Amino acid sequence: MTKVIAITGKGGTGKTAITTLLIRHLTKTNKVVLAIDADPDTNLPETLGCEVAKTVGDMKQFMQDERDNLPPDINKESILESKIYEILEEMPKYDLIVMGRPEGSGCYCYVNNLLRGILDRFVKNYDVVIIDTEAGLEHFSRKMIRDVDDLIVVTDGSRRGLRTAERIRDLTEELDTNVKNIVVVANKVTDTNRTEIERTADELNLELIGTVPVDSVIAERDLKGIPLFDLPDDSVAVQEVDKIAKKLGL
Amino acid sequence: MADEYPFEISPMFEGERIRKDGMHVELSGPKSKGYELVRATPMDEIEDGKFTLIGPDLSEMEEGSRHPFAMIYKIAGELVEEDLESIVERRNHDFQNYIQGLMHLNQRYDVWIRVSKDAVAKGLTSFEPIAQAVMMLFKNELPFIEKVEAVYITDLAEIEKEMDNVKAIYKSRDDRTRDLHDEDVDTFYGCTLCQSFAPSNVCVITPDRISLCGAINWFDGRAAAKVDPEGPQFAIPKGDTIDTVAGEYSGVNDLAKSLSSGEYDRINLHSFFDYPHTSCGCFEVVGFYIPEVDGIGWVDRDYAGVAPNGLPFSTMAGQTGGGKQVVGFLGIGINYFRSPKFIQSDGGWDRVVWMPKHLKDRVLADIPADIAEKVATEEDAADLDSLKNFLTEKDHPIVQRWEVEAEEEPEAEEEVQETPAFAAPPMMQGMPMQGMPMMMPTSSDTGGIKIILKNAKVSIEKVIIQKKE
Repeated sequence: MTKVIAITGKGGTGKTAITTLLIRHLTKTNKVVLAIDADPDTNLPETLGCEVAKTVGDMKQFMQDERDNLPPDINKESILESKIYEILEEMPKYDLIVMGRPEGSGCYCYVNNLLRGILDRFVKNYDVVIIDTEAGLEHFSRKMIRDVDDLIVVTDGSRRGLRTAERIRDLTEELDTNVKNIVVVANKVTDTNRTEIERTADELNLELIGTVPVDSVIAERDLKGIPLFDLPDDSVAVQEVDKIAKKLGL
Repeated sequence: MADEYPFEISPMFEGERIRKDGMHVELSGPKSKGYELVRATPMDEIEDGKFTLIGPDLSEMEEGSRHPFAMIYKIAGELVEEDLESIVERRNHDFQNYIQGLMHLNQRYDVWIRVSKDAVAKGLTSFEPIAQAVMMLFKNELPFIEKVEAVYITDLAEIEKEMDNVKAIYKSRDDRTRDLHDEDVDTFYGCTLCQSFAPSNVCVITPDRISLCGAINWFDGRAAAKVDPEGPQFAIPKGDTIDTVAGEYSGVNDLAKSLSSGEYDRINLHSFFDYPHTSCGCFEVVGFYIPEVDGIGWVDRDYAGVAPNGLPFSTMAGQTGGGKQVVGFLGIGINYFRSPKFIQSDGGWDRVVWMPKHLKDRVLADIPADIAEKVATEEDAADLDSLKNFLTEKDHPIVQRWEVEAEEEPEAEEEVQETPAFAAPPMMQGMPMQGMPMMMPTSSDTGGIKIILKNAKVSIEKVIIQKKE
């Protein structure tokens, strides 16, 4: 069975960093991982240290633009499937796919419907699917990704970050997505804000499963645009994320 | 049975992805060349079950390497004919994916195949068992195939040599499929993807009518309905032909009734005025009746300006959408302009008077040559007066209709006034020009009233029409 983990949260909380470290953790195990960057801002390739030229959005647009030029009886699902495989970044221990650009003005119902079927079959090939997504959960609302085992909401020390977590919890209920479990990870935690975060999480009835300390190495790498994937094992953030992964049974 | 092959064969292996890590070799695909082709061949030219390989075999290929790859299947049988080639060819995709450790993607000269390391480790050393398994499946699953022979090619020069011929075969096939019309088939396809926001929409997809969104043609409907008959695209038995020109079929009417929960019971596929197709909301183009010239204009969602009736696409789309049969407006997919049956019961292209230039250019090749330059664009006509002048000047066929109508109703002689553009449906703003009576086509035969407003400026906050108690 494929385990699907989605990581979301308010902008700037470091969800992409947490995602990267989770993938880093998983590649040290023997699991086959699919990483999906479902944030239109598309930072995951950079933090992982790979280059992605084309996105699912580009391929959807290709299908829209070319549809009248394709041979009439060509199988469009098969073309889209091949295009999706073509843009997949195949790394030694994991594959990466980027959702990318938002839709244009036309009707994408058909191409999205094809994509849903393709992704349903596709994700079954992996032990774990890790999705980095923005707080609006667009791809979930479109049912591109139907079932999520664990939704990790990343927050920073701010009350707003935890409020976002609360809203996301409500949103998943409204969207009628199949999310089994919602947990919160606090990032950039310091000794001074730790207690307050724990108290607020408790007050909002959010399950806090980890607190990742401020890591100066990450901050420096973020500043310089250096990947986070190859952080050393003794990094405090790496160690905390490893613990979180174990709590989630990864 | 399974012991004959060094791999398992089952539909459960469909969708099996072979990652770069687990791949022994990659064949054809985006970074190489190749194709797959099924050819109907005379019975006596086939040696049943024969396999020929031109070029190196799997055992001679290095792990992790990439090679060109072509597959040709010659098939014969009493019922085998050229038109079946593409359907049989498509099954190669299915059957190769039934083989554990083989991944087959795409079609024609875009095929992309990977063989897994696991499959090789389990004893797959040659392409022959793959070809044999596929031939076995062809004969088992498609019993009209009596004899089959396979040729696989891994030699680049050999593949390149044949490429032009192969492309010509695909092209002649495409020409044949383009020549498929409503009368040639007994099944149409329906689509309910839009029903989430247009609950009574009934999208009917036929060889001569693409879906309103422009994304689904008859072949797409057929492919989807075959895989999942209960899915959003499904078969509509055509039933009896009631009207060939308007495109009325009993099967479509029955479906319209059930899909719209009884709201509509007739749909004319190729009519603008009488029981037109419903309009969902995601149509690419909206057609609008212009009573002042008795013609039809078309505007697409990429046109930001206003049409000669003073309305932009968004306003007309808002009015038309929602899955209703709106007489006077019609949502269509761009490819419907290319249909030989394009609104044929209302005069086809002879009734078209205006479309944005970029849209006209896009379908220009399919506009009958004698009418093409008579269809105005925003460069020729921005309002009704200039449109009328343009049509008169170009002697658009619609002009003859005016003359006929003017003779019929000689009493209607009115001065023309500047027509104010206001955002009401043009069908309600009947302001006939130069004695053209406002003849709104009606979808009901039950009498009623005819309202003609002349030189009127109307501003209405709210109109409530109620049945007398």
